[in-house]
Amino acid sequence: MTLLLQAALAGAEATVNRVLRLDGVALKRLGRLAGKVLEVDCQAPALRLFILPDADGLHLAAHHEAQVDCTLVAPAGNLLQLALAKDKTRVLHSPEVTMGGDSAMLLELADILQSLELDWEYEVSRWLGPVPAHLLGARLRGGMAWAGDSLESLRLSLADYLAEESRSLVGQQEAEARFAELDQLKISLDRLDARINRLTQKIKPDA
Amino acid sequence: MSEPRKPQAGQDSADPTTHFGYKTVRESEKAEKVAEVFHSVAAKYDLMNDLMSGGIHRLWKRFTIELSGVRAGNRVLDIAGGTGDLTRQFSRLVGPTGEVVLADINASMLKVGRDKLLDSGVAGNVSFVQADAEKLPFPDNHFDAVTIAFGLRNVTHKDEAIRSMLRVLKPGGRLLVLEFSKPTSSLLSKAYDAYSFTLLPLMGKLVTNDSESYRYLAESIRMHPDQETLKSMMVEAGFDRVTYHNMTGGVVALHRGIKP
Repeated sequence: MTLLLQAALAGAEATVNRVLRLDGVALKRLGRLAGKVLEVDCQAPALRLFILPDADGLHLAAHHEAQVDCTLVAPAGNLLQLALAKDKTRVLHSPEVTMGGDSAMLLELADILQSLELDWEYEVSRWLGPVPAHLLGARLRGGMAWAGDSLESLRLSLADYLAEESRSLVGQQEAEARFAELDQLKISLDRLDARINRLTQKIKPDA
Repeated sequence: MSEPRKPQAGQDSADPTTHFGYKTVRESEKAEKVAEVFHSVAAKYDLMNDLMSGGIHRLWKRFTIELSGVRAGNRVLDIAGGTGDLTRQFSRLVGPTGEVVLADINASMLKVGRDKLLDSGVAGNVSFVQADAEKLPFPDNHFDAVTIAFGLRNVTHKDEAIRSMLRVLKPGGRLLVLEFSKPTSSLLSKAYDAYSFTLLPLMGKLVTNDSESYRYLAESIRMHPDQETLKSMMVEAGFDRVTYHNMTGGVVALHRGIKP
């Protein structure tokens, strides 16, 4: 079991560091966190992991006998969300997540991982050469831009169809007008409530 | 414990015998014979380690690093450090404020280790010392952690070496001994014996053109104290809270003791 865990950690560490090396500044920023230790305590399934950043990347360990700088306790789902989410600070502030110690270290680490800009074209060029890598990169970027535009167009058309054509959903402007009316009504009710309270105080005989 | 052996009748009482694999040799000859083995295998040591263990030796060493508790600013001694696998990781952990000493009795191994580490940019907090584990040339209470990985079985007087390691450790410092040991299952033990005495020398012959050194490796493992014996040797030397972890079914054991 010990060796299986070690093998899993070694594999994960190698993969993560390979990805980190694709970013021009991530390793330099991680180097500033060298010597710090983050303990990640996953609940359900129970698993404790230590992350030691330095200028070579992230080192993962199942045991760490010295003092840790920051502790993060969260269920596996939240940790996965933290790894994938663009806005990591929002996940860190959710009620299921508990942080202890030097949270600045954790926020800095989250920021480094969040702002990764991976140069895949460089990695591909090492294997295929610069010209094919550039052609492939340009084709992929074009494809991704087309896919992005198409998805956005689909989203807008779908919203338009559901709100205007099928009337299954309320349109955004209609909803906003109704919300504004509700807000106005709430303010009027508050005012009325205050007025009634004031009148009640006036007619109440003095004690 | 199997060594040192008492002199047999008719032998020179000033030069007792010990084992070199399954052979009995004079104590004064053992270090020389072990040195010959490592001079012979030094150039292809890493390749052979990967071939023999299927790369698992990296996981054994990884676990050793984790249990060492080494942190920034520590001073670490890696005895029988060979080609520097542990030293590289310790150098990273102790950082610029710490220090790692890679010690090996064998000049060829030390040279391979030094070249390998320097070529990969590991420098600044690492020094290299040719030293005998039985007579460590360091002051008392000097290191925060001492490790010896796959080296203790080659030492002639293991108890003296363990006492020497205790001496150079600071109070509260840790000794970690990573060494081949006794498999816990008889089935695994039989398979391991078959592998060690047939495939290992064959691999040695094919890769380093030296089957004898790898036959010695297999024999020296069998002559090395088992888990409990080594634990009692460490306790006897003066270590506190001595524990061991079996890995790969006891093929390798990691012993850890704290200097009181």
